[in-house]
Amino acid sequence: MRQLLLAIALILPLPLSAQTAPELVEDVLSQHVLPGYAALVEETGELATVAEAHCAPGDAALRTAYGEAFDAWMRVSHLTFGPAEEQNRLFALAFWPDSRGVTPRSLSALIEDADPVIETADGFATVSIAARGFFALEFLLYDEAISTMGDDAYRCALVQAITRDIAVTAGAIRDDWETRFAGLMREAGTNDRFQSPEEALRLFFSSLNQGLEFTADLRLGRPLGSYDNPRPERAEARRSGRSLRHVALSVESLGQLAHLLAQRDSGLQADLAQAVEIALERAEQLDDPVFAGVAEPQGRIRVEALQQRVREFRDLVQERLGPELGVAAGFNSLDGD
Amino acid sequence: MTRAFTLTTALAGTLSLTLPLQAQTAAEVLDTYADIAAANYADSLTTAQVLDAAIEALIADPSETTLAAARSAWLAARVPYQQTEVFRFGNAIVDDWEGRVNAWPLDEGLIDYTEAYAGPSDENQLAALNVVANPTFTLSGEEIDATEITPALLQETLHEADGVEANVATGYHAIEFLLWGSDLNGTEPGAGSRPWTDYAQGEDCTNGNCDRRADYLAAASDLLVADLEYMAAQWAEGGEARAALMADESAGLVAMLTGMGSLSYGETAGERMRLGLMLNDPEEEHSCFADNTHNDHYYNGVGIQNVYLGQYVGVDGTVVSGPSLADLVAAEDETLDTEMRLRLAEAVRALGAIKAAAEAGFAYDQMLARGSEGGEALIMGGVNGLIAQTQTIERVVTALGLDGIDVEGSDSLDNPNAVFQ
Repeated sequence: MRQLLLAIALILPLPLSAQTAPELVEDVLSQHVLPGYAALVEETGELATVAEAHCAPGDAALRTAYGEAFDAWMRVSHLTFGPAEEQNRLFALAFWPDSRGVTPRSLSALIEDADPVIETADGFATVSIAARGFFALEFLLYDEAISTMGDDAYRCALVQAITRDIAVTAGAIRDDWETRFAGLMREAGTNDRFQSPEEALRLFFSSLNQGLEFTADLRLGRPLGSYDNPRPERAEARRSGRSLRHVALSVESLGQLAHLLAQRDSGLQADLAQAVEIALERAEQLDDPVFAGVAEPQGRIRVEALQQRVREFRDLVQERLGPELGVAAGFNSLDGD
Repeated sequence: MTRAFTLTTALAGTLSLTLPLQAQTAAEVLDTYADIAAANYADSLTTAQVLDAAIEALIADPSETTLAAARSAWLAARVPYQQTEVFRFGNAIVDDWEGRVNAWPLDEGLIDYTEAYAGPSDENQLAALNVVANPTFTLSGEEIDATEITPALLQETLHEADGVEANVATGYHAIEFLLWGSDLNGTEPGAGSRPWTDYAQGEDCTNGNCDRRADYLAAASDLLVADLEYMAAQWAEGGEARAALMADESAGLVAMLTGMGSLSYGETAGERMRLGLMLNDPEEEHSCFADNTHNDHYYNGVGIQNVYLGQYVGVDGTVVSGPSLADLVAAEDETLDTEMRLRLAEAVRALGAIKAAAEAGFAYDQMLARGSEGGEALIMGGVNGLIAQTQTIERVVTALGLDGIDVEGSDSLDNPNAVFQ
């Protein structure tokens, strides 16, 4: 009996580890992308429901639901192509960095005019992305000026409009993945969008790479500024105290994506896991949720060290995972002025 | 005899047409690329010199007519320059330099008065500095003497002052602001409407400090000419950009494709087009003072196509052409070459539709207005065309076996603060 089992085990391919490009793509879809969006749809739906009954800026239930939905977004925010890129959905969910201060300006304009455009979902969908999504909601919940501006009832309606819009947009991305884009990736080689499975792999590899650069260079680099000119006020989601949390969530999720993509090389998988762990440990020890410390030499060194750990993870991805997959990162949507 | 001769000639003719296609080498393709860059920057220089002369005439004899002539010269100068932007990403020498001539968007309150003034912002304490009105001021704790407005003051002291990229003191867009003024029409039609009397000397001067404003404009124009002289020389025979390109053939090809892809995707489709649309914000227009944005995008698209097809039509009609990337790709994979040509043509056509609509009276600002379905369709048509061609450019990179070759200056994330500025 025992020998028979052994024989079967030898004959059957190991189901645990994907070997071919289509198998890798399938694993990333079924274990990373689709569950990530399913969670986002659930949490954003919950946020919209909570906001129907709790719309005051300081409301604990609302803030909790906001945090959970934002967490779910951070876990998929690096998937910037396809369904998230279509109809500008990604930016409608999360417009950051906002280097020209357009979000507070757009929100003030809506509130001051008590603009009725927020009354319908279709109307609100035409509003500037700067006044939509998680970062606009953050101003309404946490910014001293915006959260007290104008009429309470209008701001309440605006909070509800934003949360509903977030849920609708998240649902649209998920549906587009399930009904269209996942199929294109699975059937890569038989359609024009993906002329080979390697093209699908390349896209996942590019988003891993771009996600790590976004975290190192923007989430950490923007507040760091320069030694002579640190910019703590540029930290992402600092008003809700989530800046460091976002770095950790993104490293964790990108670590999962890297793990799935590296399945053919267990040694590389282990090295990637270690790089992720080192970065997460560094984040945990930092004890500076909004990177306020960047203005002081001591605190600055610690944030720079975290940035360095994220970059080491990225280097590993570029230098070893890329060649292992036989792909290089494609063009980056963040290339630009 | 005659007959045989004709046949031989015909054969030779056929051979000379087809042979070079098969004999394409990367070096020849790079040569064409460098020749196009040289001609394109030379055109940018000559049109900037025409602009400089028009600005001198405006300052010497301010009038409605001389202001209009300077504006026309600025618009003409943008035609060749926008086509050169495809040389930016991938060629470090261009990438390091381009911020001097085409930095954007700008907090124009640094330079001169603006009625759209919003005061210093969280990101930029100098957003309302107004150098034209202030001969002395404090900058990052240092007392600055700006009684004389010189190219050096603009370039060394003011440009990107305080480490903020929106502090644009030089280049096309600074000149654009000084010729047109702020566009106060929001998402309604109409460009900036600076009166010519902003340059009138003595009692006719409007908005004050006309002498300093003229000094600023003259200095910015001198700088633009000098900067373009420099870049044209880098691409001429013996120039440094050409030498850097030729040093490694594979890296040279990567530089070509990197320029095409990065300008298509992150820069034009993303930063310049999609963002403005999503924000409904005409201040995100690339040429927001002159309302020339439709041309900016269109000539970016043409420039990308130039590089692939190995052909550039100069401002005087001179054609530069030669062995091209298209030839290399066709030799490897004819279907892919057809796909690439088609995608480039579709993108240029979609960008052309924006240009056509704008020239027929539907201003780019109006296209950005909240709820403008026609505007959104036009702009997203251009965005989608550029995204689609980027996917094919990636295929070309793979088909030519250039995957994984990194090239300096391909990634704006080297300079994170610049992203989304």
